[in-house]
Amino acid sequence: MKLQSTATLTAALLLALNLTGCGSDGNDGVPGLDGQDGADGSNGVSQFVTTDDVVTTNANIAYAVYSDALITAIDMKAHLQALVDNPSADTFAEAKQAWLDAREPYGQSEVYRFRQGPIDAVKSDGAMGEEGDGPEGRINAWPLGEALIDYVAAVVDGDANPESPANALSSNIIANTTDYPQINKAVLLGLFEHGEDERNVTTGYHAIEFLLWGQDLNQDLSGSGPRDATGGQRPYSDYATTANGNPASCTSGEVAASDEICARRGAYLLAAADLLIEDLSTVVNSWEPNVGAHYKAFVAGGDVSLAKILEGMGRLSFGELAGERINIALTTDSQEDEHSCFSDNTHRDIYLNAKGIQNSYNANYIRVNGEVVEGASIHDLLVVEGYHELANQLRAALERTQAGTAVIDTKAKSGVPFDQLIQQGVNQANVVEVINALIDQTEIIEQAISALGVTTNDLRQDTQEF
Amino acid sequence: MCLISIKRLSPAAASAVATLLLLSGCGGGGNSTPATTTPTNPTTPTTPVVDHSGLPPISAETPEPGEHLSGGLATTSVTNNDAFSRRPQAVAQDFQLDGFFTSGDHLFRTPHKDIGPLLNTGNCQGCHLNDGKGKVPTSPQQPMTSMFLKIADSNGNPDPVYGGQLQTFAVQSFTTSDPESGLPKHDGSINGDALFGEAYAYVEYETVTGHYSDGQSYQLRRPVYKVKDLSFGPFNLDVRLSARVAPAIFGAGLLGAIPDEHIQALADENDADNNGISGRLSLSTDVLSGEQRIGRFSYKAQNPSVLQQIAAAYRGDIGITNKLFPQEMCTEQQAACLAAAEGESQSGVMLDFSDRELALVEFYNRALAVPKRRGYDSASASWDEPIIHGRRQFIAIGCAGCHVPRHKTATAQGSVLGQLTLTGLEDNPEPLQWLSEQVIYPYTDLLLHDMGGSCQITRETDNGEDCDSGAQCLYVQRCEGLADDLPEGNATGSEWKTPALWGVGLVQTVNPQASFLHDGRAQTLEEAILWHGGEAQSALDRFKQLSQQERKQVLAFLGSL
Repeated sequence: MKLQSTATLTAALLLALNLTGCGSDGNDGVPGLDGQDGADGSNGVSQFVTTDDVVTTNANIAYAVYSDALITAIDMKAHLQALVDNPSADTFAEAKQAWLDAREPYGQSEVYRFRQGPIDAVKSDGAMGEEGDGPEGRINAWPLGEALIDYVAAVVDGDANPESPANALSSNIIANTTDYPQINKAVLLGLFEHGEDERNVTTGYHAIEFLLWGQDLNQDLSGSGPRDATGGQRPYSDYATTANGNPASCTSGEVAASDEICARRGAYLLAAADLLIEDLSTVVNSWEPNVGAHYKAFVAGGDVSLAKILEGMGRLSFGELAGERINIALTTDSQEDEHSCFSDNTHRDIYLNAKGIQNSYNANYIRVNGEVVEGASIHDLLVVEGYHELANQLRAALERTQAGTAVIDTKAKSGVPFDQLIQQGVNQANVVEVINALIDQTEIIEQAISALGVTTNDLRQDTQEF
Repeated sequence: MCLISIKRLSPAAASAVATLLLLSGCGGGGNSTPATTTPTNPTTPTTPVVDHSGLPPISAETPEPGEHLSGGLATTSVTNNDAFSRRPQAVAQDFQLDGFFTSGDHLFRTPHKDIGPLLNTGNCQGCHLNDGKGKVPTSPQQPMTSMFLKIADSNGNPDPVYGGQLQTFAVQSFTTSDPESGLPKHDGSINGDALFGEAYAYVEYETVTGHYSDGQSYQLRRPVYKVKDLSFGPFNLDVRLSARVAPAIFGAGLLGAIPDEHIQALADENDADNNGISGRLSLSTDVLSGEQRIGRFSYKAQNPSVLQQIAAAYRGDIGITNKLFPQEMCTEQQAACLAAAEGESQSGVMLDFSDRELALVEFYNRALAVPKRRGYDSASASWDEPIIHGRRQFIAIGCAGCHVPRHKTATAQGSVLGQLTLTGLEDNPEPLQWLSEQVIYPYTDLLLHDMGGSCQITRETDNGEDCDSGAQCLYVQRCEGLADDLPEGNATGSEWKTPALWGVGLVQTVNPQASFLHDGRAQTLEEAILWHGGEAQSALDRFKQLSQQERKQVLAFLGSL
């Protein structure tokens, strides 16, 4: 917050200097009609910021935010292990908290999607492939047809099934001891998008989320009653086994289950966490400063890289966040279309995605440990290039969005989660405000792209993206 | 077909022929001034040599510059298992368009409220697997989920009880955790008090053998369709059935933007050019305007627009009513279906799908990009040799007579539903620039062709004994050739629209379980070729006379599409 206000002040000062002291002289070195050029300000905004500076800072932040995602995923794995070793109310709560904590950096990393970056295009061996070759789907795919993974309720506020019944397994992976005697990473990977079915999501944050929270069955746990302020209500006894000191205690929700089922559920949880760590590691390695293949290519990419930053910001703002994650959920009023529907953490997804866009613009990211990574920003670049007003408009638009997402975040924390908010109707003011703010900021991002004169790859050049 | 005639002749003769053809109404769609008199000296061209698109004819020897970009600006460079799911770069770079695409994609693959009461699947992608083709069940015990049987009488009218297609499921298969709960039951819904899917269809295959001119033999799978468990009583007495697998859908926006007159220029109903191919226009009714228009979409080209195609699929396959098709699929005879429809949250005159949602899915379908060709090196602007040879053979043996390689789109108008915004629809829809004025390579003439064959439907038990009623008495359809014997619109029971071939080389990359032709009987592209008959018989005969190496080249060419 402090840093933001400094930036605001800076921009205002700069603007003021231009309006009062320096004539608009066309930057030709000749004093303008209004008098002598003003002296350089000493207010913290560089008077000379290059595209390369901006691109490099953006890459450094990518490394930091993905590293934080990795670090928190590793920490989550430790808590999942503790849950599996010793299921209790405490270890269960801590495991869920670790998942929520892990989502904080990841949500801010999503602005690095939609730009042919590692998240979308790096292969498991570290080589850059085509868009779609990256681990994004394995890490964060949704909505899930969770019936593939574990027991589900007969009736759900949403949909537990795959796209086509033909792509359902004869029984869920955890219960299917015949076809999958061992649950391990290979089984999960082998069944990811089983039948080319995009709802058969076996891996990633949301598979883990389902295994921790279970389905959100609403107030009366019937699956069809009024929505409440909590997510799923999976009991920790779903992980109770004789081996972890809880003989004859294993459950599958409301009903008793055999030891083996709970053991397999635990194995699933840990295998999914291992895969998540592996996939995040691949992305982190690709962004490693001075070493990672994508880092090196990206920081050398000049205007094309700058265009990618802005493209990621614009596409996340409009299509992904305003469109798919907010507007579709609002229009359909379906928990199925809610990003983190098991945990009811969608308010954070929205807040953090928007925050990531603002981070990219301000070139500022506060790491999980409190350290700040910052540097040359697009804001600086716009100012230096003479687009003071545009820089200010974009800053303001991003702040308007943050104010709006903060309301959704606050409402959720004070008892009205996103799945209840969207139920208030398609004109729900808080949600509509965020959509409109995102639409507005997207338009200004477009103006910034135009002002900076950058474009991403032209299809006709047929160049392989880096 | 005009194109091919020209290509086989010397340039001078070709010019002459082209002039004649232009005058006879074949080709020359780009020329807005129709010739009115017979020229006195036909060897002197008075108009440039152009094909149906108004472009210089393509060379059989040398691929055109840009031919690797099959969809023009609406091409994607992605050729992995995501190849049919991509947005063109021009869409990705425009944040608004990108957003409409993303939202349309989400609606396309997620379940919607108020599906059914009778349906084949719960969402679009349930059939269009990974945006690609559906699949044939691997055993009679698996219900059809991404294919279904159309049903009609001998005149092509819908069955009075079952309507126009057999929906395998009732809604409870999708809204509860038991997918089998809505499967058909013999006479199960006849009393109107319980709803089940309409009928259970399955396929068994007989092996057909043949051989090439060089003696090499091949095997084909000839399907036998069987229908049992009719929940609403028997079919009409002269029932016709036609199995259809969901096709891939990318490139539809481009096909919709080809000008009518270019397609008309290719039509040759009476085979005036005497090449054995007599492409016919499919005429269909635009349900919004009531006008007759050229049909382009579905296997018999029964739908004139992408919008009508998806609206019909939403209603017919999923049970989602919409502006174009506001009535639930239930017929008046299906009381159990009508009762269930009354229980939907949007029942009666209220539509299941808003215009905005429909427009988003329409946009998504129109925008889905065509994958670029493989086997082309852009640095040296050169193609792999076998592909060049295969392309030459493809044209020489006559495949391109119907699978017309190249078209040019005109202005692609915005949606008739209105101009999309993220939160609504406005007036004055803008044209879709990246679909407009594009030179594209779909390999279709969008015309109906008689592919030969005929069918017979019998009543028999599972072990082949004659019967006439009862739970054990199946409807069994056997066909010779590609015919389905089910007339649809002005298409006869042996006519099919030439399907586009772009992307065929990636069909099994996108969905490894996919197969080819309208009912998925062909497991490989080679088998698909060998099923051709009717107007394509002579081209098939020539294919069978090729050497093994030449046949491989043709398949390499197809694989690169």
